[in-house]
Amino acid sequence: MSSTRFRLAGAALTLTLGVLTGCTAGESVDVDGAGKSGASTGGVLNAAIGGEPDQLDPHKTSAYHSFQVLENVYDTLVEPDANLEMKPSLATRWTTSEDQLTWTFTLREGVRFSDGSPLDAEDVVYSYERIIKQKLNASYKFTTVKSVTAPNPATVVVALTAPTPNLLANLGGFKGVAIVEKTNVESGAVKTRPVGSGPFMVADYASGDNIKLVRNDKYWADAPKLDAVIFTFVKDPTVALQNLRGGEVQWTDNLPPQQVPALRDADDVTVRSAPSSDYWYLALNQAREPYDDVNVRRAVAFALDRAAITKAAKFGLATVNQTAIPKNSAFHYDYAPYRRDPGQARQLLDQAGVTGLTMDLMVTSEYPETVTAAQVIAAQLKDVGITVKIRTLDFAQWLDEQGKGNFDSFMLGWLGNIDPDEFYYAQHHSGGTFNFHKYRNPAVDRLLDQARTETDQAARKQQYEQVAKQIVDDASYLYLYNPDVVQGWSKQVSGYEVRTDRAIRFRDVALAK
Amino acid sequence: MGRFVIRRLLQSGVVLLGVTLVVFLLLQLVPGDPVRVALGTRFDPQTYEALRARAGLDRPLVVQYLSYLGNALTGDLGVSFRSGRPVTSIVLERLPATLSLAATAVAFAVLVAFPLGVLSAMRSGSLLDHAARVFSQFGVSVPDFWMGIMGILLFAGVLGWLPPSGYVPITEDPARWASHVVLPAVTVGLVTASILTRFIRSSVLEVLSEDYVRTAEAKGLRARVVIMRHVLRNALIPVVTVVAVQLASLLGGVIVIEVLFAWPGVGRLTYDAVQARDYPVLQGAVLLVAALFLLTNLLVDVLYARLDPRISVR
Amino acid sequence: MSGSEEKTSRRALSALRHDPLAVTGSLVLLLLVVVGVGGAWLAPSGVNEVDVDRMLQPPSWSHPFGTDELGRDVLSRVLVATRVSLQVGVVSVGIALVAGVTLGLLAGYYRGWLDNLLMRCMDVLFAFPVLLLAVAIVAVLGPGLLTAMIAIGVVYTPIFARVTRSGVLSVREQVFVRAAVSIGASDLRIMRRHVLPNVAAPLIVQTSLSLAFAILSEAALSFLGLGVQPPAPAWGRMLYDGRGFVTEAWWLGVFPGTAIFLTVLAFNLVGDALRDVLDPRQLTIGEARRNAG
Repeated sequence: MSSTRFRLAGAALTLTLGVLTGCTAGESVDVDGAGKSGASTGGVLNAAIGGEPDQLDPHKTSAYHSFQVLENVYDTLVEPDANLEMKPSLATRWTTSEDQLTWTFTLREGVRFSDGSPLDAEDVVYSYERIIKQKLNASYKFTTVKSVTAPNPATVVVALTAPTPNLLANLGGFKGVAIVEKTNVESGAVKTRPVGSGPFMVADYASGDNIKLVRNDKYWADAPKLDAVIFTFVKDPTVALQNLRGGEVQWTDNLPPQQVPALRDADDVTVRSAPSSDYWYLALNQAREPYDDVNVRRAVAFALDRAAITKAAKFGLATVNQTAIPKNSAFHYDYAPYRRDPGQARQLLDQAGVTGLTMDLMVTSEYPETVTAAQVIAAQLKDVGITVKIRTLDFAQWLDEQGKGNFDSFMLGWLGNIDPDEFYYAQHHSGGTFNFHKYRNPAVDRLLDQARTETDQAARKQQYEQVAKQIVDDASYLYLYNPDVVQGWSKQVSGYEVRTDRAIRFRDVALAK
Repeated sequence: MGRFVIRRLLQSGVVLLGVTLVVFLLLQLVPGDPVRVALGTRFDPQTYEALRARAGLDRPLVVQYLSYLGNALTGDLGVSFRSGRPVTSIVLERLPATLSLAATAVAFAVLVAFPLGVLSAMRSGSLLDHAARVFSQFGVSVPDFWMGIMGILLFAGVLGWLPPSGYVPITEDPARWASHVVLPAVTVGLVTASILTRFIRSSVLEVLSEDYVRTAEAKGLRARVVIMRHVLRNALIPVVTVVAVQLASLLGGVIVIEVLFAWPGVGRLTYDAVQARDYPVLQGAVLLVAALFLLTNLLVDVLYARLDPRISVR
Repeated sequence: MSGSEEKTSRRALSALRHDPLAVTGSLVLLLLVVVGVGGAWLAPSGVNEVDVDRMLQPPSWSHPFGTDELGRDVLSRVLVATRVSLQVGVVSVGIALVAGVTLGLLAGYYRGWLDNLLMRCMDVLFAFPVLLLAVAIVAVLGPGLLTAMIAIGVVYTPIFARVTRSGVLSVREQVFVRAAVSIGASDLRIMRRHVLPNVAAPLIVQTSLSLAFAILSEAALSFLGLGVQPPAPAWGRMLYDGRGFVTEAWWLGVFPGTAIFLTVLAFNLVGDALRDVLDPRQLTIGEARRNAG
């Protein structure tokens, strides 16, 4: 059910690089023995990730750990560059009809899946129809799509029911909309041995320990320099760091947050971070008293010390934010009306006629930072006379309670959003699928509907700014912070960059001997 | 002898049947719809229907159990809710890691406990004896995961002699396997060693006090000969069984230690299955471990009966 | 109270008095009970007093055990967590004792098919490594203090059932029991007046040792994140939360771990001393200790 809400397991996350350097095509590599062939420049990069993918079907997994791997295995029609602007990938160009209701994509020539079979327009149609018809995770990205057709092997036509200015982001934002191979899916092998058209392919999967990718020699762009990438699952960040320093791994996104400041100056490893487009927030259930009263919600907002929460939850590896969209985005709106002010908070509570409030706060062990932050929030709200009862559930139960509306408040994050529609519609529209806290403001609804199909970019930006201000004033979500993406790699690694969307791309990475 | 074996075999069969029932009922205890709960964020109607149908949750309980039992007998333990792969192969993949850790830990424990136990019994009341008793009291009281944390802190952190965690298959690189197995095996092995030390000590003491040993000593045989010829042989019979029982329980995977050291064995599989609410894998792992445990105990009993004819029925 | 029961407790007491280790263990236990009852009062600051400006501070005069990743006073949390550990130990062993003794009495006294049925059930529970079964039960019921206590109680029940049953079998045919039967005493009365007091000794030993292992099991469950849930303090949970910081903040690992160790050690010392006097031939549940791993 969650969309771009990846399930991240642990502490810090990471990302990778987006710079494509031109390089010569590597020689062919022995699939079984990457590194043994001795033929190429490559080498094997060991990457430590914080957890194990649940499965490798890109349309069915929602686990971030799966996408860390799949980013290097699959392609999408278009893909975000380092600034999250959509660039050609499997599609080389596209046109939009006058009425904005028909998009025509031209596919790259000569693309093959890693098993050698050609990738053509029928594969795109199959992939999208699979997501739509089976209502898979990414199906919400296709809500305005009426049909997907393939008039010829090199052309895909997407017909829409309404103008969709963010269609490219929907079709290329992440590998959950990847182009899959029909036979691979139908045989069921996609779960453990997915076949894509990306720079690497899955060679081995040792359950509980690692997944090994080897270079895909049929890759349509410049061949990757690495012979192989091995993703090892290392849950404990301290261990991941020790492994990085000990040379057992050359890359990790699972660093102990409290050590990151010191690591930035370390000689033996490179640690870089970038602001992510994720955000973490507190939501109060407006279907319940007294949280239906905006004064009570604003009182909570004034009781919070966001800097302290951020420090405890992320060790400063995050930017405090009172709106959803981070500063580096074109849609960022600078608005921060709240600051910690217990006096004002008490006054607002008095106005609302609320005394001796006990608030249930639902968090999940799946995301330990919610458990940590909740303890800080509880201490802060105690100062204004609100007693917080923390309820820690596992994620499945948590989602169940959220769906049923059984909560006073909860804390969670949204990850990997790109377009403002993704930041606001589902969460704050009165008919939004993720509006579990029952926010309802007709003006916001109207603006959200309008902006969704607004093709004038300037007007659209302005509409979203109005939305952002209203949501903050109404305290629909109490936004807390945008975490940083933090990753570290050894000095041997070159060509890697941290990406704000947390995508991890190893296709241009080289490893010095 | 033969009748004893057959009786134990039947008994074990009955217990194993009970074990399958308990494991089966685990799923029924899940509050709510286990498939819905397990899928959580990954919910989609098609997968849901497929998993429900595969698990046969719509049928009457008795029918479900009988088919679970029937499938289990043919080695089919269902499919993982998480990955869709067969549970049997998922669990079997994890066995080598657990086996190699268990065997190393027990070997370490025997090497420590045997000399310590025998010597402290022979010199009962000596300084060594006291040290051995302190050691074994320490071993049974210390939380093994805490000792593991302290071990990582010291040997991987401060001294940097050993890797803090991780696993390399012994078939791939024996040297690196060995460097990874030391910390977890010693952590687990110390607990086992302290149990064994106690046992060996009291077992040797008991034999030492028996008449024939006193007679032998009275006859003027040298102490060493007495020890070698009479005491050890008789004292070791029960010790062998205790070692086997310890090994059996380690085969089940030491959950906490495997989690702490990122050792991809059955114990960590269980833990991961719990975290992911992957009930079929949880059931499969628990069932396999219990079956292994029963089997080892059965072998031990049979072996014991052969080694020591005085014991025919326990 | 029957004569033999009085004798049992007197022997137990004198056993404790004459063994220096047992005296030490008892004193530690006494101290633990005091801390368990008055922990919140003894603690220098509140267990949930968060202060991000004093995160991960090493031990000092104001925070003798240092502060944790939320700036909370570790000493206060270790003290207050004592109650949780003792509570889990007492309640779960209580469950195991009541259930196990009842089942063991029924099985040993009535023999026959009932005995067979009950003891095979116990065999089944015994076929699982203790922690594995506890983890499975908690996984299914959902993590928390109550489910942890139930799970630990269930897994230790078979030990009590077996100890009770074998005790019952040994007194069942003795003259005084037969005499009671022949004068028409009711089963319940016979069990209560004659049988139970005679199995008291091994049960006392078993209870004391089981408390040690139950506390160890709770710590292990909490260390896996399956026991007491935050913000409530528990030793195992503190190790779990502090695991990522231990390399920079050794005090997060050392103090809660030492607390578990000392508590378990104290119960073991007392249990061993009791066994030496009351029931020298009873094996330790050393085998069951495997359990705790």
